[in-house]
Amino acid sequence: MFDPSDVVDHVRNGMLPAHIYNDSEIFAAERDAIFSRSWVFLAHESEIPQVGDYVVRRVMENSFIVSRAGDGAVHAMFNMCLHRGMQVCRAEQGNASHFRCPYHGWSYRNDGRIVGLPFHREAYGGETGFSKRGQRLLPAPAMDTVNGMIFVSLDPEAPPLREFLGDFAFYLDYYTRQSPSGVEVLGPQRWRVKANWKIGAENFAGDMYHTPQTHASVVEIGLFREPKAEKRKDGATYWATSGGGTTYKLPPGTLEERLRYVGYPDEMVERMKGAWSAEQLDLIGRDGFMVSAASVFPNLSLVHNWPKVADSDDVLPFVSLRQWQPISENETEVLSWFLVDKEAPEEFKALSYKAYLMCFGSSGMFEQDDVENWVSLTATAAGTMARRLLLNGRMGMLPDGSTIAPALGGDEWAGPGESRIGYGEYNQRHLMNRWADLIEAGPARTAAVTVGTPGEDAAR
Amino acid sequence: MTAHIPVSSADSPLGAHATKAAPVGDPLPFADPVHLAAHQWLVDETYLLDRQELEEWLARMTGDVHYYMPIRVTTSLGTGYDTARRMAHFDEDLYSLQRRVARLRTEHAWTEDPPSRLRHHLSNVRTFATDVPGEILVESAVLLFRSRGDVNEPSLISAGRSDVLRDVGGAWRLARRHIAVDESVLRTQNLAVFL
Repeated sequence: MFDPSDVVDHVRNGMLPAHIYNDSEIFAAERDAIFSRSWVFLAHESEIPQVGDYVVRRVMENSFIVSRAGDGAVHAMFNMCLHRGMQVCRAEQGNASHFRCPYHGWSYRNDGRIVGLPFHREAYGGETGFSKRGQRLLPAPAMDTVNGMIFVSLDPEAPPLREFLGDFAFYLDYYTRQSPSGVEVLGPQRWRVKANWKIGAENFAGDMYHTPQTHASVVEIGLFREPKAEKRKDGATYWATSGGGTTYKLPPGTLEERLRYVGYPDEMVERMKGAWSAEQLDLIGRDGFMVSAASVFPNLSLVHNWPKVADSDDVLPFVSLRQWQPISENETEVLSWFLVDKEAPEEFKALSYKAYLMCFGSSGMFEQDDVENWVSLTATAAGTMARRLLLNGRMGMLPDGSTIAPALGGDEWAGPGESRIGYGEYNQRHLMNRWADLIEAGPARTAAVTVGTPGEDAAR
Repeated sequence: MTAHIPVSSADSPLGAHATKAAPVGDPLPFADPVHLAAHQWLVDETYLLDRQELEEWLARMTGDVHYYMPIRVTTSLGTGYDTARRMAHFDEDLYSLQRRVARLRTEHAWTEDPPSRLRHHLSNVRTFATDVPGEILVESAVLLFRSRGDVNEPSLISAGRSDVLRDVGGAWRLARRHIAVDESVLRTQNLAVFL
């Protein structure tokens, strides 16, 4: 029987029992305690721009249809017929006014309302036997959006998404609101890797330390000019409520010069100045930091980089959003999207797309080497020796719990949260402490839902 | 209603420069010398890819090559598309392919060190004349078997390909490759390999 106390105290001490990266009991606990409670990203509104558009996405093994109904409202509904449990939608995306179950022909409008129930009167005695009025495909227990990003939580008591994200919303804007129009989201590339889902989330949250080693090859071929060891440690990491990330320190210059340095054309810079707060602009223009990778608890990550995409000295920035979808204790489906500002010039959009493909995603040259490492780690974590080994995740922390690098003051870091310059696993510890809190809290309580049958309360 | 929807460079944000050659007529007879040459070209290519002789592989491309592998998505019959809008696994020109090969030649491309054991199984080859002089279109099926390490599960990638070969001074060069991968979700750790 799994006892959370075997792992959470070690995790809170910055020591990671290696088996948590490949352990079926831990994975079951994550499903019941973490993914049954947390806000999980499903889709972006720009993926379903027209009335009737839908995509099908999952939270763990739970399939949801995310659709735009006739009134333009977005719905996330459990993809399971109320009668015998078929998936009412077996495509990944499309446009539909209705979803009809192929099993017995029950049909549902694209807002989830049941509209067709064959032989309702003859088979059920009409409304008396099965009350279809007001019945709908089970909605996601909670749904909310920020910057067009659609999140759901399986916990109906989940705090509002904005409250959950808290101060991370400040940083999310750099990736998903470079103009008042926001971003368009393309993809996702999907592929499965034999790695535990937490590794990617931890890596993107704060691992500046891996860049010069893991990604040495992309510097050698001139794709990327930044990740040399001595430059990476000049960056800062930050943690803000439910997410955190890494930054690069930019060369001296004005706000405009620094945004141009990473490849943004003047017209996009002007729109950023209109879209971001004084503090958001100061973090770049005054403090000289540019966001790179980031993670939001539990399994959403972002990345912003600026490689060369042609045989010249120019660099082109791109943004990617990705989800580490847990499949099992040793397998993760990566969903990786490319994001670009809706108002960006078409030429910028095309070259930013090229930059993304060269660097991240299923064929990306950064990502290729990351996954090799994570697969190797996961395989090794399966054995009994891994149950003995506590991995050291205490970088940046001294034995008395104090930190090597001081927290940056308000005159050095214009953003909210806690930030520090240099290498350290501060963010990974924040992420894993949140993990430990939920694992310790145990499975979320859920209530059964009955449909169509009157008097179900009396029957209990 | 056909389930077959051809891949098109016109769907790529980077495909404007690609040749627009389209097949004309029935497949060439298997005894046709053009078909035989095209078939040999593809077989020879599998050996270059399996042995990771990638500089030689790149030398068989034209300067304006478009190497394009869109993302396949599951859509209902009759939807009219089965690839993701403006997103791909590969959408390459000669420069980006050269960068990928150059990276594999560094001492720090961990994902291919130790190297994968690769076998490109090639079949279903047929050749068409096209509406562009000096260009032929060759369709083929490829099954890539990839084994890494001693006990890792091997991965398979199955795809259909539609290639345009251009006669450049008497030698065939790859001017366009469209790869229709047969899975929506790839079951391989990355595409540090080519199809």
